[in-house]
Amino acid sequence: MSKNAIVILTTLITGLAIAVFILLFYKLPYSAIGPEQPIPFSHNVHSGVKQIQCQYCHPYVAYSNHPGIPAVEKCLHCHNYIIANHPWIKKEHEYFNTNTSTPWVKLNYVAEHVLFNHQRHINSKIACTECHGQVQNLQRLPHKTWYMNECITCHFKKGANVDCWLACHS
Amino acid sequence: MNRRTFLKIAGMGSISLAAGCSPAEKNLFSLVHAPDDMVTGKATWYASTCRECPAGCGVLAKNREGRIIKVEGNPLHPINKGKLCMRGQAALQAVYNPDRLKTPLLRDKNGWQPISFAKAQSMLKYKTHDAAQKGSDRVRMLTEVVGNSQLSLFTDALKQWNAPAPLIFEPFAYETLKTANETVFGRKELMSYNMQDADVLVSFGADFLETWLSPVEYAHKFKTMHALKNGQKVPFYHIGPVQSLTGANADSWVQCNPGSECIVALGLVRQALDIRKGKQLPWSFRKPLFQATAPYTQDRVLEASGLSLAFYEKLVIELMGARKPLLLGTDTGAGDKKGLQTNVAVNLLNLLLDPNLTLLDFNNRHRVEIAAARSEVLQFFKSLQSDAVDLLILNNTNPAFSLPPKSGVKEALEQDDLFVVSFNNFMDETSQLADLIFPVAMPLETWDEYSGWQAVNSTLQPAMGRLTPTPHIGDVILDTAFENQKPAENYKTYLFSRLVADRKIIDEKDWVRLLQVGGAADSTATRNSAELDLKPQKIAALISQLVKADATDLAFSAIPSIRFFDGRGANKPWLCEIADPLTRVAWQSPVSMHPDTAKAQNIVQGDIIQIESQWGNLEAPVYVNEFVRPSLLVMNIGQGHQAYGRYALGKGVNPLAILPPEANTESGGPLFSTDQIKIRSTGRTQKLAYMYGSRTQHERPFALTVGLTELNQGKMPQKTGLTMEDFPLTLPLPEGYDPKRDFYPPHDHEKYRWAMVVDLDRCIGCGACTAACYAENNIGIVGEKRVLEGREMTWLSIERFQDPHQKSKVTFLPMLCQHCDNAPCESVCPVYAPHHSKEGINNQIYNRCIGTRYCVQNCPYKVRRFNWFDWRWPDPMNVQLNPDVTVRSKGVMEKCSFCIQRIKVAHSNANNEKRPIRDGEVIPACVQTCPTDALVFGSLMDKQSRVRKLVADPRAYQAMGYLNTKPAVIYLKKVLREA
Repeated sequence: MSKNAIVILTTLITGLAIAVFILLFYKLPYSAIGPEQPIPFSHNVHSGVKQIQCQYCHPYVAYSNHPGIPAVEKCLHCHNYIIANHPWIKKEHEYFNTNTSTPWVKLNYVAEHVLFNHQRHINSKIACTECHGQVQNLQRLPHKTWYMNECITCHFKKGANVDCWLACHS
Repeated sequence: MNRRTFLKIAGMGSISLAAGCSPAEKNLFSLVHAPDDMVTGKATWYASTCRECPAGCGVLAKNREGRIIKVEGNPLHPINKGKLCMRGQAALQAVYNPDRLKTPLLRDKNGWQPISFAKAQSMLKYKTHDAAQKGSDRVRMLTEVVGNSQLSLFTDALKQWNAPAPLIFEPFAYETLKTANETVFGRKELMSYNMQDADVLVSFGADFLETWLSPVEYAHKFKTMHALKNGQKVPFYHIGPVQSLTGANADSWVQCNPGSECIVALGLVRQALDIRKGKQLPWSFRKPLFQATAPYTQDRVLEASGLSLAFYEKLVIELMGARKPLLLGTDTGAGDKKGLQTNVAVNLLNLLLDPNLTLLDFNNRHRVEIAAARSEVLQFFKSLQSDAVDLLILNNTNPAFSLPPKSGVKEALEQDDLFVVSFNNFMDETSQLADLIFPVAMPLETWDEYSGWQAVNSTLQPAMGRLTPTPHIGDVILDTAFENQKPAENYKTYLFSRLVADRKIIDEKDWVRLLQVGGAADSTATRNSAELDLKPQKIAALISQLVKADATDLAFSAIPSIRFFDGRGANKPWLCEIADPLTRVAWQSPVSMHPDTAKAQNIVQGDIIQIESQWGNLEAPVYVNEFVRPSLLVMNIGQGHQAYGRYALGKGVNPLAILPPEANTESGGPLFSTDQIKIRSTGRTQKLAYMYGSRTQHERPFALTVGLTELNQGKMPQKTGLTMEDFPLTLPLPEGYDPKRDFYPPHDHEKYRWAMVVDLDRCIGCGACTAACYAENNIGIVGEKRVLEGREMTWLSIERFQDPHQKSKVTFLPMLCQHCDNAPCESVCPVYAPHHSKEGINNQIYNRCIGTRYCVQNCPYKVRRFNWFDWRWPDPMNVQLNPDVTVRSKGVMEKCSFCIQRIKVAHSNANNEKRPIRDGEVIPACVQTCPTDALVFGSLMDKQSRVRKLVADPRAYQAMGYLNTKPAVIYLKKVLREA
C-alpha cells in the first residue's frame, strides 16, 4: 500500500505543478510579456507617449505585403540626438558601425502557405489596431498566434474576398 | 524502476514537455541602410544581358530582398524582344549553384588548397611580372567571347606583359559560315538574317531554334514568318540527315544522304543560273560559276542525294518563283566535312535569287564572329608546348571538355613549367588541370557591357547582393597588370570611360538611361556599305572540287543541344531535368539510331552499345527513333562531364570522345562527325529516363492538326459529335451549362474567368515555358532515379507526338492543368483540397491536402504531381525560391496554378487604381517567355479579350472536351502545309 501511495502522490503533485505552471505561463496578465529583444524597444514609448505614426517605422505597409521594419540608420536619425549616450542606443550604434543587422525576434507571422497582404488592408481603411491591438500601451510586444477564423470572420463581416487563393493562400 | 513506473514518469514528462513548448524563435533582421530601390515584399527589376551563350539577349532580373529569383526577357531589347530560352531562364542556377567556388584554389602536392583573394591576386601579379621580364610572349590568354570593354582591357594588360592579344575560344565558332561569307561576299563576318520577311525558307541543317547564332531571336522571327497569316503559311524546308528541333518544325524534313546537302545546294545554284536568276550581277561573276556548277545536273543531284524528283522539282519551283527567298546553311556544329561548300552554295543562292540581299543584315552582325577558328585554337595549344610560355590565363572556358580528347589540351595544360590560372567559378575539366583557380563575379553580379549585335548597346549591372566576395575579372586584371599608369581606378570607371570614348554614351545621365533600358540600338555604329567584294574565281575553285556523297556505311554525328549548348548548361539541374524536346529523355544522353539500322544491327532501345572510332570509344544507351536517317548515329553534345559539380558529374556521355581532333583544312572549323566507326553491343542495358507514355496517339489524336487547304476551304468538321475533332467547343462559362449534359450547377464567375489559348501552330517545342515554370513556382528537382520511377514534378510539359503514318512528323503539345469548369479532380477529393475559385481557377489548397491521390487518378490529363518526398534545394539554391509561392512538402499534391501569385499582383494593382484588370496585364511565367507567342492568357468573361477572340478561331478545340470537363485551356490546331 505504502509503495502505491508514493507513486500516486508523485503523480498528483506533478499534475498539480503542471496545472499551476500552465496557469502562470498563459493566464496571468504579466506573463503575456513578449520575448526579450536584442534592444528593449518600447512600443509604448514610441507609439504611445511620443505619438510617432506607425508608418514612420513601418514604411511599406501601404505599398507592399510586408510593412517593413526600420533600418538601423532610421533609429539613429532620432537617437543621434535623443538619449544618444544611453547604453542601448550605444548598442544600436555598434550595430550601425559594424554593419550588422539587428536580430529582432519575430512576433507576428502566419504559416508559410499564407500570404498576408498589408497593402490591401491599409488601403481598405483597416486600422493597424484592429488586428495588432493597442500596441501603444505595451512595452514588450507578445507573440500573437493568428487564427484563420479571425480572418474569415472579418472577411465575411466586411464582405471581403473569401476565395482561398485569391485572398490569402499561395 | 519497474516498467510501470517508467511509463508513468515518461507520460508525465511528455505532457509537461508538450505544455511547456513554444515554437522556435524566428528572427526578423533589419537592414543597416535602407536602399532606395528596395521595398520589402516587392520586386525590383534590373535590366541586364544574358551571358549563357554568345547571342546576348536582354534580360530583366527580378530582385526580391536583395536576391534574384527570376530572369525574364527584356521587352525593350532589340535582339530577343522580351523572350528567353530555357538556358537563359536557368542562368540563375549558375549564380546559386551549390558547387560554385567561394575562394581561389591553389594546387600543391596535397591537392587543392583554398587561399585568400589577396594572395591569389598577388600570386598572379608576381607570375605575370616575372614572365614579362623574362621575355616576350611568355604569357598567353584564352577567353570566351566577351564584350568590347573587357576585350580591350585584356589586350592592354597582355601588352603590359609583352604578350600577344588573347585568343577568343568558342566551341561553336561558325568557321564554315564565316569562311563562306568571306568567299562569297568578301566579308569574314556573321550577319543576321531578316527571316521574318522571307517568303520561302530552306535550311540545310541550320538549327536556328536551338543554338544557331541567336536562337531566341530566330525563333521569334521564324514564327513571325511561318505562322498562319491570312490563310497562308510561308513554306519552310529542312534538308539534312538529322531532324533537329528546327527540322521538326519544318513543313517537311527531307532526308538526304549524308554529305549530299552540298550537292543539292549546288544543283539549285545551277538551276538558278540556268534560268538567268541574278542577271543584275555581272556576267564575269556568273560565268565561272556557270562552268563550275555544270556537273550538278538534276539527275546527278537526285542520284547523289536520294531526294525524290517530285520534291526536288517542287523545291526548285518554290525557290525560283519566290520574291524573297532565304536559304540557311549548315547547323551550329557544321560537323559535315563539306559544310563550307554547302554554305558557299547557300550564299550564292541567296545572292542570285535576291541580288540586293534584302534579308541579310550586315550591320547587325552576331558578336560570336570575333571567335577564333578551331584551327587557331588547336595551334594555340600546340604553341603552349613548343614555345617558352610561363603563364596561361583562361577566362571561363572549358577546352578540356569541348575539344576532342586527342587535341592535346590536357598535355599542354599539364606541363610542369606552365602555370595555368583559370578564371572560373566551377571545378570543371579545365580547372582541374589548372594550378590556380580564381573565381570571379558572375554576369548577374557585375557592371559590364556585351552587345550580341554589332549595332546594339547592351549593358550588364549587378542585379543582386553578393554571395561570395569574388572580385570582377576586370578589377583583377586592372590591379595586376598596371603598376602606375592604371587606366582607371576600377573596372566600372574603365567601362564608363571606354563607352564614352567609343561614343556609345555621352555622359553619366546617358549611362543611367542606357542601364535602365538594358539594351538599345546603337545609332553611332558604323554602317557597312552595301558594296560587296565578289571574287568568282575563288568561289568557282571551291565548288568545282567534285563533291560526292559519303559512303552510306555507319556514320556518327555530335550535335549541339538546346539544353546544354556546348556543355556549359550541364551543371544546372533545371536543364538536366527538362527532357530533350525530341527524344523526351532527361538526365541522360542516349545515342539516336534509326529503327532500320537498329534492326540490322540487332539492337533494341536501351541496349548499351560501344561506338569505337580511331580516336577513342564510348558507351551509350540507344534511343531508337525516326529523327535521324538510317545508318547515322547522333548524340547531343553537353553531358558526360568528369567534373563540373554534382549535377554534371557522371551524367550522360560525351560524344566528343570519339571525334577527330583536327580541324577542317579549308574552313578551319571543327569536325563534329566521323564515318569511320564500329559499333558493338555490350550486352548491357540501361533504362532510359524518358517522360512520355506513348510516342504516337493510337488513332485517338490529342494534338490535333488540320491541313491548310482544308482550313481555307472551311471544311472543318461540324461540332456536333463525340470525338475531340467534332465535340462542340464548350467554354468554361455559365453559358456553357447544359442541363442535359451537366450534373453539377454552373459556376458563377465574378468579373474574370481566366483561360489560356495555346496555338499549336506556333509552338515549336523549345521548352522555354517549362524552364520558366520551374523557376517561378519552386518546382522540385527529382533527379534521374526518380524520373525513372515516373515521379517528375513538372507542371507544364511539352508532349511530343509522332504521326503514326509518317513517324518523323512531330506535333508538340504543351500540357498543363486545364483548369476545367467541371474538374474531375474536384469531385473526388474527400477534403475539398482542389478548390474551384470564383475566377474559375482550379486551386490546390496544400494545407488541406491529405495525399489520397484520388485527384490524379481522376484527372484525364495527368497533370497533377504528387510530392513523394521533400525535395531539397542545396544551399544556396534555396535562395532562388520565389517567396510568393509555397514550397510544397511531402504528401501533398500540386499542379499548375496559372501563376496565381501574378494574378494576385494584378488584382492588387488594379484595386489600387480602382479599375478592372486590363487584358494582357496578367502574364504567367510560361506565357511571358514563349519565344513564339504560342501562349495567350486572359479572361473569357471579357468579350474583347484576346483569348475570347482566339477561341472563335475555327481551329479551336478542347483536349478531351468530350469528357465534358470544359477545359479553360483551349488549343488551336496545328496547321499542316501540304509539302
